[in-house]
Amino acid sequence: MNVITNNNIKCTIALAALQNVVDPEIGLNIVDLGLIYQIDFDEANSKIYVAMTLTTQFCPMGESITGAVKRVLENTFTGMEVQLELTFNPPWSQEMISEEGRQFLNQ
Amino acid sequence: MFITNNNDNLVKNTSHKVVLPFYLYAAISFLVATILLFFSSSAFTQHYFHPKTLAITHIMALGWGTMMILGASHQLVPVLIEGRLYSIKLAYSSFVLAAVGIPLLVYGFYFFNMGWAAQWGAILINAAILAYLSNLAFSMAKSKKENVHAVFVLTAALWLLLTTLVGLLQVCNFSDTILPNDSLHYLPLHAHMGMIGWFLLLVMGVGSRLIPMFLISKYSNTKLLWVIYALINGGLLTFIIFFLYFSKTSFYFIPVAAILFAIALFGYYCYSSFKQRIRRQVDEQMKISLLSVIMMLLPVILLFIIIGWLLVNTVNTQLVLVYGFVVFFGWITAMIFGMTFKTLPFIVWNKVYHLQAGLGKTPNPKDLFSSRIFNAMGIAYLLGFVLFIIGIYNADNFILKFATAFLVLAALLYNWNVIKILLHKSTKL
Repeated sequence: MNVITNNNIKCTIALAALQNVVDPEIGLNIVDLGLIYQIDFDEANSKIYVAMTLTTQFCPMGESITGAVKRVLENTFTGMEVQLELTFNPPWSQEMISEEGRQFLNQ
Repeated sequence: MFITNNNDNLVKNTSHKVVLPFYLYAAISFLVATILLFFSSSAFTQHYFHPKTLAITHIMALGWGTMMILGASHQLVPVLIEGRLYSIKLAYSSFVLAAVGIPLLVYGFYFFNMGWAAQWGAILINAAILAYLSNLAFSMAKSKKENVHAVFVLTAALWLLLTTLVGLLQVCNFSDTILPNDSLHYLPLHAHMGMIGWFLLLVMGVGSRLIPMFLISKYSNTKLLWVIYALINGGLLTFIIFFLYFSKTSFYFIPVAAILFAIALFGYYCYSSFKQRIRRQVDEQMKISLLSVIMMLLPVILLFIIIGWLLVNTVNTQLVLVYGFVVFFGWITAMIFGMTFKTLPFIVWNKVYHLQAGLGKTPNPKDLFSSRIFNAMGIAYLLGFVLFIIGIYNADNFILKFATAFLVLAALLYNWNVIKILLHKSTKL
């Protein structure tokens, strides 16, 4: 699934950084897992808007994952504040896993 | 494109403070049960309605199986119903009431004191289950999404309450005659409502959601789950009607066949999930969980043999003892071994590392326990399990004692790993 963004260059940097956030149960990073839907940058207000999902609502690891997303992006883009929206519309499905993610899970 | 919600409402799960006491209590109960088994092994050469056998069975069913499931379900119910747990206070209440009630009841059975200890124990256990059931029902009522898995869990909790209510009546029946027959007469009713209605239904409800989730499987079949639900509840209701109103032994083949068919369908559901998984590697905990699905068949096959035997003879007490042992020390114990090490490390990892996630390398949840001790536990358990069955069937106390030593060892190793996880402190890699 492609990530929607208003800044392709910064989004690429953000996604590279988010590859360090791993779902502890699956062992796969959240980018390849397809949890990130949208990353928008608001330079004027120093804000990053992230829309993402979890593999299931009330996932016991949910708080850790969303907290890690905020911390990683705020460390990568110093001075920017992250506003994170969690959405289940559309809900996550296996089709959202990237080709690299599938290869990892097929090992 | 996106419908946004309040994030906290979507990620806040049940606090570890509610869940962990159940896990610790269950682990200690398992150790106590195996130690009692070691010192009372000769009871398994006698009739199954023996005080010590009843005490061990109840510590296994309530202290081990039920406490573990209650703990895990407080964590997993929000995932199943896609809503928050209704009340933390009710969750704590169910723990405290059961934690006090179970030892009282077990003490009552062990020393065959059916007076205040067993009666208060049974009352407190009923209150604990009522608190759990109310919490579950209110959580489901508040959740907008209803699904088959949640219905399985709620129905299972209802059966559990019925089981403990019948148990309370049986305990009181020792002191005052309140039932038409003696307490022993109602043992099959009480036992099967608990084993089929509570354990089997709940395991299928939760397993049918978690097994495909952990395997990252595309497989889903809600219709099949409803058929399984109907077969189990229909089979159990039929058994109760036959038991209360028609005392013809051959009739019992009908409910047992329904349960066997339900287990076969559930096995097919798990196999289909396994076949259509995206994640190729299956960890040891998942393998044990899947093995416990196969182990469900063993008690049902034994039940067929017991009923067949009843048609031509009287009750074969050794077979009944093997049946009970296979349920509690076999299927339920194997399932809990898998469930503990699949859920507990994640709960503790979340507690210790949730503020460090993404800031550097942290240990994997699987590294919180020793896999070598886990494997040694598995070997000791399998040896003890098989030897104990041989010991019961041959009514040989030497084999039974030898087998229980392995089971005590398995329980010690299990506790070692559980304590190791619970005491885990943050380590940076």
